Amino acid sequence: MDAFKLMKELRVNYEQEAHYLPRETGLRLIESTTEDDSRISAKCRDAKVEDVWSLTSFFGYSTQTFVLAVNLLDRFLAMIRIQPKHLSCVSVSCLHMAAKVTEEECNLAPPVELIRIGQCRFTASDLCRMEKIVAEKLNFKSKAVTALTFLDLYHQIALSHCTDGKEILSLEKLEAQLKACLCRISFSKAKPSVLALSLLRQEIHAVQSEDMLEIACHIQRHLKITDAELRLWSERVARRLSDYSSPECSKPNHRKLQWIVSRRTAQNLHSYRTVPELPTIPEHCWDESESEDSCEDVMSSGEESLSSSLGSDAEGPYFPLHLRRQHLHA
Amino acid sequence: MSAISASEKVDGFTRKSMRKAQKQRKSQGSSQYRTQSAPVELSPLPQLKDAPSTEQQELFTQKLQQCCMLFDFMDSVTDLKSKEIKRATLNELVDYVSTNRGVLVETTYPEITTMICTNIFRTLPPSDNPDFDPEEDEPTLEASWPHVQLVYEFLLRFLENPDFQPSIAKRHIDQKFVLQLLELFDSEDPRERDFLKTILHRIYGKFLGLRAFIRKQINNIFLRFIYETEHFNGVAELLEILGSIINGFALPLKAEHKQFLMKVLIPLHTAKALALFHAQLAYCVVQFLEKDPTLTEPVIRGLLKFWPKTCSQKEVMFLGEIEEILDVIEPTQFKKIQEPLFKQISKCVANPHFQVAERALYFWNNEYILSLIEENIDKVLPIMFGSLYRISKEHWNPTIVALVYNVLKTLMEMNCTLFDELTSSYKADRQREKKKEQERDELWKKLDELRLSSSALVQNNSHGLPGVQNNNNNNNSNNNDTQDKSAEAAAVTSENKDPDDSVAANESSPCAK
Repeated sequence: MDAFKLMKELRVNYEQEAHYLPRETGLRLIESTTEDDSRISAKCRDAKVEDVWSLTSFFGYSTQTFVLAVNLLDRFLAMIRIQPKHLSCVSVSCLHMAAKVTEEECNLAPPVELIRIGQCRFTASDLCRMEKIVAEKLNFKSKAVTALTFLDLYHQIALSHCTDGKEILSLEKLEAQLKACLCRISFSKAKPSVLALSLLRQEIHAVQSEDMLEIACHIQRHLKITDAELRLWSERVARRLSDYSSPECSKPNHRKLQWIVSRRTAQNLHSYRTVPELPTIPEHCWDESESEDSCEDVMSSGEESLSSSLGSDAEGPYFPLHLRRQHLHA
Repeated sequence: MSAISASEKVDGFTRKSMRKAQKQRKSQGSSQYRTQSAPVELSPLPQLKDAPSTEQQELFTQKLQQCCMLFDFMDSVTDLKSKEIKRATLNELVDYVSTNRGVLVETTYPEITTMICTNIFRTLPPSDNPDFDPEEDEPTLEASWPHVQLVYEFLLRFLENPDFQPSIAKRHIDQKFVLQLLELFDSEDPRERDFLKTILHRIYGKFLGLRAFIRKQINNIFLRFIYETEHFNGVAELLEILGSIINGFALPLKAEHKQFLMKVLIPLHTAKALALFHAQLAYCVVQFLEKDPTLTEPVIRGLLKFWPKTCSQKEVMFLGEIEEILDVIEPTQFKKIQEPLFKQISKCVANPHFQVAERALYFWNNEYILSLIEENIDKVLPIMFGSLYRISKEHWNPTIVALVYNVLKTLMEMNCTLFDELTSSYKADRQREKKKEQERDELWKKLDELRLSSSALVQNNSHGLPGVQNNNNNNNSNNNDTQDKSAEAAAVTSENKDPDDSVAANESSPCAK
């Protein structure tokens, strides 16, 4: 697509994006909720989105599927108050719906498999019902304008202006960074066009390309994004990305995974932790009654190691005091 | 032969043990027992508890001597009365030595050891069953067990008696005694081996002068077992004794012991019958590592060297042992072996045998191992990643696929950015491979088309360029069809070129890869 067409497409999407934004009030409500059994909290949602990412990655789905799934999830959660115990069902339904419109049919994992791998507690028919509910509430047909839409367009625009764009700006890297941001609910409040632009600028700073920077500014002007808004989200993005790549990225297992093994393996797992029956025999053992042994057995031939073991078996003076006493008496 | 029920058949075939049991048992004669001379009868002696204390010594000796008479238990009808007398006497002796003090006077030692030697030291009969499979078959039990058991019991109580004096006993319980005792460990009867195990353990504990000898002999038995005979029934029992000895090693470990570990215990893992003694062997190895952690690297490298290549049952055992070792490993030692170890683990994880894959994946359920991996995630993850990702798509077993998900998720949480990088490079690799495959396919298609089109040409242009054609045919008579046809096609299309040139040009393209 040529530059002009791209810019036009950009405008079109920009005008539509508000339609696909989750309700801000709903998101704020979730963010302000403390850990509670009756309401979804930010932590809860974030953990679930990470699970969705694990499943996406495992089944080989594209980032597009993931981004769409998260978009559906956030829009639904911002609209409808659900109990935490249903969150799993909602998130997997969103994933499945997103996969159905994005992935090729042959690559689609059957719902039963999704449920089994994700160790979910609900059934395939539950999933089906939930999908219908979500689709209805969101009036979802097949598309949504997300940050990925913009990211993709920006990337194409950048490439069309720079001949060596492909080597400098990696779409995959940008997608990975977007994924990192979407794992935190606060980024769902951002307008997709702004979020994508922030990510683009972040990466441009990293590769230090003047040309690209110019293009980014051009896009900003074209879409009339304010400096303040861009700055705000750029800062947040930078912070999130630095957290994400820090070595202390390991989070504790907030949910224990189930480890199911076959019966045979399970039987053999703990067969080794047996307590030995025979008591330990210490290597140096000076018992009064036996102390006479040591010297006399030196006589036996072919005992090269005996003298060495004798040397260490017999710690202290060669004839201990109590032995000398016995000798005298014998 | 009576009919064998369906339940005793495995996969429609009768188990080997059932068939063996069906065979008629030939009664074994033994030259150990007097068969020709008149039957000897034992005359019952008065009870020890009834005898006055002054006579007890003498009575005790007499009873011991009486018990030196051996009876043939293969023959279940002769000497029943005498057998019973001996049994009762033995029982009495066991009691006597267990409950009374002051019984073990110096003069009794030789009598006691003579009685014991007479009864237990014998050449073990050859196995009824030359291909005795310890796992499948029922062992041949010792026929004289009613007596022999009591003799063993007696020996044990004798050794454990509070008045027992090794300094006196060592004149009789000497190297020859120990050697004969060790030979008995080859008995098929597990009860006998169990007694022998406890007895040898006590002897090792009490006779310091015999310790080195015992260790050396066990060494020899194992080496013979590994490298010569592959047959010895008492490996597990000997290893159990060794476990308690290793547990008691003083630090720093002597060179002799370290040699034993590397030259005997590690190679012992190669035995075919490993399943029979693996638990004890693993225990010994782990004990060594707890004593001296610097042995970790040679041990693990040794195990990796002997890693089973065709026996899945053994592979599962090895994995269990590795987990036990990792449970006690020090983080600095872990760093030294992590790369070769995880290379092997990544192979195990992809193994089509589900038990091997399961056992390897289950490592990720171990908290301590997880903490070690986390510390070294930058080295471990790249090694495991490819394998895990591949089997998540390809493995036939659904349980394995679910476990792989757990493992990948756990690894992802340890280092997200590294995981992302590996994912994208893996995907890029896969795409490149796919592209290569496509290119190859297209090349073959092109060749196919060339072939079809040129054969059509040949049919139409039979008078085309006879000279050129004949030349090519003669030159390429040994080449395959494709080259011939394409050579001809080229000759037809590029008339100006030298035929040899065009042949050369076309020969190169099919062989491009």
